[in-house]
Amino acid sequence: MVLFFYPKNKMSSEISTTVKRNETDRHKKKNWFQILLARPEIGPFGVMLLLFGMLGYFSIPEGQFSINPFTGEGFNALGIRNNFRVIAQLGIVALGAGMLIISGEFDLSIGSMAGFAAGCMAMILKWGFAVIIPYPSFADGFTIEGYRLFEIQSVSPLTAILITLCLTLSFGWFQGWFIVKSGISSFIVTLGGLFFLRGLTEVSYRAFNKKVDQTAGSTTVTDLPDIKNIIEVPGLGEMEREAAKVLPNDQILKILKTAPEATLVKITDQLTYINQKVAVTKTMMQEEKMLQTLQRSLDNAIRSGNEAMQKMLQAKIDAGIDVQAVQAKAVTDLDLAKAYIDTLPTARPVAEFFGGNILQPVFDWLYFTVDWNVNNFGNQFAPGLYACVMIWLIMALFCYIVLSKTQAGNWIYSTGGNLSAARANGVPTNRVKISLFVFTAFCATMFAACQVFEVNTADAAKGNLKELEAIAAAVIGGVVLTGGFGTILGILLGTVIFGIAKEAFFYIPGIDGSFYRVFLGAVLVSAALTNENIRKRIVGSA
Amino acid sequence: MSIERPSIEVRNLVKKFGSFTALNGIDLDVYPGEVHALLGDNGAGKSTLIKALSGIHPPTSGEIKVDGVIVHFQSPREASDAGIGTVYQDLALNPLASVTRNFFLGREIKKGLGPFGLLQMKEMNAITIAEMKKIGIHISNPDQPVGTMSGGQRQTLAIARAIYFGAKILILDEPTSALGQKQQMEVLKTIRTVQKLGNIAIILITHNEIHAQLIADRFTFLSLGEVIGRGIAQELEGDEIKKLMAGGAELGDLKAELAA
Repeated sequence: MVLFFYPKNKMSSEISTTVKRNETDRHKKKNWFQILLARPEIGPFGVMLLLFGMLGYFSIPEGQFSINPFTGEGFNALGIRNNFRVIAQLGIVALGAGMLIISGEFDLSIGSMAGFAAGCMAMILKWGFAVIIPYPSFADGFTIEGYRLFEIQSVSPLTAILITLCLTLSFGWFQGWFIVKSGISSFIVTLGGLFFLRGLTEVSYRAFNKKVDQTAGSTTVTDLPDIKNIIEVPGLGEMEREAAKVLPNDQILKILKTAPEATLVKITDQLTYINQKVAVTKTMMQEEKMLQTLQRSLDNAIRSGNEAMQKMLQAKIDAGIDVQAVQAKAVTDLDLAKAYIDTLPTARPVAEFFGGNILQPVFDWLYFTVDWNVNNFGNQFAPGLYACVMIWLIMALFCYIVLSKTQAGNWIYSTGGNLSAARANGVPTNRVKISLFVFTAFCATMFAACQVFEVNTADAAKGNLKELEAIAAAVIGGVVLTGGFGTILGILLGTVIFGIAKEAFFYIPGIDGSFYRVFLGAVLVSAALTNENIRKRIVGSA
Repeated sequence: MSIERPSIEVRNLVKKFGSFTALNGIDLDVYPGEVHALLGDNGAGKSTLIKALSGIHPPTSGEIKVDGVIVHFQSPREASDAGIGTVYQDLALNPLASVTRNFFLGREIKKGLGPFGLLQMKEMNAITIAEMKKIGIHISNPDQPVGTMSGGQRQTLAIARAIYFGAKILILDEPTSALGQKQQMEVLKTIRTVQKLGNIAIILITHNEIHAQLIADRFTFLSLGEVIGRGIAQELEGDEIKKLMAGGAELGDLKAELAA
């Protein structure tokens, strides 16, 4: 017979009279690494790194090998310039869309708003601006006459932007006001806005943009001047940069005479450097070409079994090609003059601000000093980044400060997180929402301004689908669709992912370019799932 | 029990919604430093009464005096400005935001222009921790989202917030319902701490007569929009409370009915 002796403390129930743990102890303090991993942006950050890696490795030219992704074509100067343009354009509207979603509302009219703004701006720049009051007239049967209240013939870029802003911001305000007052879902109201504005844009194009003998106008405005490149030419007044460069030679040389000495020295140095570089590159290209020809002959000789020929060619290849070095072109006064015209400052700084280039000194430095920003012919590859990148980053900084550091930010989060709670605590939730609808309209207008001043054209399809891309970018960046959750950093990451995916997939060999959409669709849904889980983890753990 | 002037005096309060009389002449006195339990069955008029006191539904007739001064609240803002802080069941918290951001929601400390003034996070964090500590809850991380706090802690947060922003009369709407046993005790402890502060009058609406007995100094029973009984804690027997809470019906009758 076996006796079991239970330890004494197992028999009696354990009662601890002093509770040492309190509620907060249940939240274990995390170290910095865990804090980093727990941040909601970590997922999108990983996807972004993956895409950057793909973009780098797949764009490395065939036959070359490198473990450094930055040697790929996707990361050369021009690649960076173009990719950041795509990212920034989406980013500008994604900021507005993201902030609005955080406050618990939607705006589907962003894309149409951008199209409307672009059309508005282009048409005002082209034909001027007038306020016309229509009235019925019975003098000669029944007709509608217009009374011209006032008219501005040639509108400056700033005025065009301001007039456009008046229209778009009031439409944004109206949408917001209608949504909060009627209680109708913003999805429907702004879907209405999407159709309304796109239609209005097309109608306006066809109405204004037609020649006398045409019945229906075109939906594109293409022949705007290159406003950002209008310069004040000494002695000749304002003209486009390109027009100044093709002036008769004597006039160009006259312009050169006005150049300051220091500038001339600098330009001469630069042009000499460029010509040298081009000559060296040309020489290398010729060498390579001859080497290739020899190699081909050698292959033929091997195939035909001609051993004497083989030996001769092999010896030639081993000895190395010695082509005559291409002479660098001399710097002429005409070259100097044209280069000087390029350095003249714009006479339309506002157009330059939206459609010009930024970071030119850096990209010049990368070419002249670092010897990196060089294209296949030895010239400078990229002149700088598009100005929309700067506008995107300025707006992102502004949004970040507002959302994370100000009272308005707290109001936006609480309006989306718990509307009735925000209201009960005196937050003017209606004003918050209306302001954000106005802000999305502002973002759409900034997007349009960048486009119009960059390419000097506008068409009725501008901004098409941008509203959905903006929402997708925000969601990929961790914004929860029901509101109250998300960060500007996340929205930025989501935008980069959305912008870079197309490029990254473009370089994958043997794959259809449209696969990037498949990829984005999957990323979007998994991001939404992750966001929802994070939200539930926070809300549902009471 | 004090013999000073009540913080809030209600005289003959009537509230009608069209032809429906929700409150039919209510009298109520609540003294500072005292927990006044407002008990009654569903539909007795408790919610309407506190909504009248907190400015959501202005009364049809009757008189409300705060610190001896007659008031006519037209909005919740006016009531809270007069020192009436109401902690509703849903607590008016944003679960996704941090403790501090909730504590100061709508009344943020900021430097600079209007709503774009910069939040003084450090100062706000310090105040939040200090105020929560005053009524007995220590929070280590004021950046923690409210959603991750226990229900009891959330109640405490809402109470601390109301007191910090000047509530002299604290109305607690069923603070222990929808909470676990332990958290209910936590909330009762918090209420006791506030009671001991001595200058705040607490109106406690509850269904739970055990909680009321544990904590309340004075009772008022409502049924069908009228006061059917009142008393102080020492004078009321448990059965009597139960009976009054059920609107005057005998529990014994129900027992017999169920047995039949």
